[in-house]
Amino acid sequence: MVSKNTNIIEVKNLTKTYPGGTQAVRGISFNVKDGEFYGFLGPNGAGKTTTINMLVNLVKKTSGSVVIDGLKLEDNLDEIYKRVGFAMQEVGLDEVATAREMMQLHGRLYHMSKTDIDAQVSKLLKLVELEKVADKFTSTYSGGMRRRFDLALSLIHKPKILFLDEPTQGLDPHARQLIWAHLRQLNKEGMTIFLTTHFMDEAQELCDRIEIMDKGKIVTEGSPEELMKKHNAKNMEEVFLKTTGSNLGNEEVNANAPDPFARSRQRG
Amino acid sequence: MNTFFSDWYYLSIRNIKLIWRPLMALLPPFFMPIFFFAVNSLSLSALAQVPGFPDVSYKDFIAPVAMFTAIFFSAGNAGIELVQDIQSGYFKKLIIMPINRLAIVLAKLTEVAVQALGQGLVMLILLLLWGVHFKTGFLGILTIFAILGIFAMAWSCISMIFALRTQNARLVQSMFILVFPLLYLTTSQAPKSLLPHTFGVITSYNPVTYIIEGIRTLTINGWGGPDVSYAFLAAGGMFVVFVTITMLSFHKALK
Repeated sequence: MVSKNTNIIEVKNLTKTYPGGTQAVRGISFNVKDGEFYGFLGPNGAGKTTTINMLVNLVKKTSGSVVIDGLKLEDNLDEIYKRVGFAMQEVGLDEVATAREMMQLHGRLYHMSKTDIDAQVSKLLKLVELEKVADKFTSTYSGGMRRRFDLALSLIHKPKILFLDEPTQGLDPHARQLIWAHLRQLNKEGMTIFLTTHFMDEAQELCDRIEIMDKGKIVTEGSPEELMKKHNAKNMEEVFLKTTGSNLGNEEVNANAPDPFARSRQRG
Repeated sequence: MNTFFSDWYYLSIRNIKLIWRPLMALLPPFFMPIFFFAVNSLSLSALAQVPGFPDVSYKDFIAPVAMFTAIFFSAGNAGIELVQDIQSGYFKKLIIMPINRLAIVLAKLTEVAVQALGQGLVMLILLLLWGVHFKTGFLGILTIFAILGIFAMAWSCISMIFALRTQNARLVQSMFILVFPLLYLTTSQAPKSLLPHTFGVITSYNPVTYIIEGIRTLTINGWGGPDVSYAFLAAGGMFVVFVTITMLSFHKALK
C-alpha cells in the first residue's frame, strides 16, 4: 500500500567536495515520500550523478546526512542495499553471462531462495519483454535491450526504492515508451522511484514531484504543474531553461576515478 | 549456509565461467611455456653434461619452469578481468549489494586457483608425454600444484592491485613485462652453482627462485632438504602480503 505521507528518503545539508577542491554538491536538502515518483533534474555537471551515487554510498559524502527508509546510510549499508535497486548511467552487464545467469546470480547474492529467484526471473523477463533472449549472452543485446535488462536486474530483489540515473539515455522513442510504461507500472504497485534525467518530457510525463539542481544546489522544487505555474512556463523544458544556466565548460570530471597520469602531469 | 561463504561460492562460480568464456582464451597461456620448453630442452640439452650440473636430463631440469610459466602468464588475467568489470560498471553493481567485500576478492582468487590447477594439469600431461619424470610421484605432483596454486593467487593479487589503483586495462596488461625479469633472474635455466656470482646473488633475492627450486626438488631430487619448505614460505609470504594490499586497494577504490 502506498502511503505518500512518510518520507522514505531524507537528505539534509548534503555536500561533496572532491580532492582538489571541486564542490560538486553544496549543502542540498530534500525529502522523497514513500511511493513517490521523484525527478531530479539538472544540466550536465550539475551534481545529479554525484548526489544519486552518494545516496547509495558509491561516492562518499563530505558532510550532511542521508536516511533511507528510516536507516542512517553509513551505519546500515547492507540493510539499505537490500531495500534499494539502482540502474546506473553505465549499463554494467557481465558480457560473458546470459541474462538468466546474471539474474540468478544476483538473486543468490541478495540471499533469496531458489523458488523466489525463479519466480522473479520469469516475472521480470516477461515485464521487460526479454524472455526469448534470456539464454543469450548479454553482449549480443542491442542498446535498448541492455537498458531494459539492466532495469529488470535492479528489480530482482524486489526493492522498495528504485534509483534510476538517466535510464533512457541513448534509446529510441519506442524503447523509451516501453521503459516509461514499466516504470509507471512499478510506481503504481507502490515502488518509490528516484529518477535523474536530461529529458524534460520524461520528467513531466512520469514524476509526481521534481527538483532542479544547478551548480551543486537545488534551484526549484514542486510538481510539474506547480513548477510551470511558478515559473510562468508552458512546459518543463521552459522551466528548466529559466532556472538553470549553461554549465558547458564547467562540467565535473569523474573525480572519483584514479588518474594514472597525475604524476607526469604534475611534473609538466 | 553462512552468507559470507555463500557469496564467495556464487561469485566463484561466476568467475570460474570466465575461464572458458571465450574458449579461445584458454590457449595463449600455453604457447609461451611449451615454446620455451621445447626450444630450451632441445637446444640446451648439452648443458646437462657440464660438470656441476645435477645428474638429470636438461628437460627434467627445466620441466618445473614450464609448469610454473603456464601459471605465471595466466594469473595476471585476474587484473584485466577486474578492469573490465570496473569499466563496464559491473563492479559497481557488486559493491552496492549486501555482500562481503572479502568474498569478492576471494572469489577472484578461487578462479585463479582453479585455472592454475587446470593449466597445471594440461602442462603435466604434455610433460609426461614428452618423457619428463617426476621423482616424488603423485604426492609430489600434488605438492607442486599446491605451491603453484598459492603463487598464482599471490601473483594475481598484484594484477588486481594494479587494476584497482589505475582502473586502466593497458597499464594492467603492461604488468606482463614483470614476468620476464622475475622468471629469468632465477635459477630457471641453470643451477645456482653454474651462475656468475653476481647473478647468483640477485637470484637469491628473488622469491620466484625459491618457488622454482621447490618444485624442481620435487621433480628431480625427492623430499629431502629444505627447498620445498622455502617454496611454501615464499609463495605463502607473497600471498599474505599481496592479499592484504589488494584488500587495502579495494577499500581505497571505494572511497
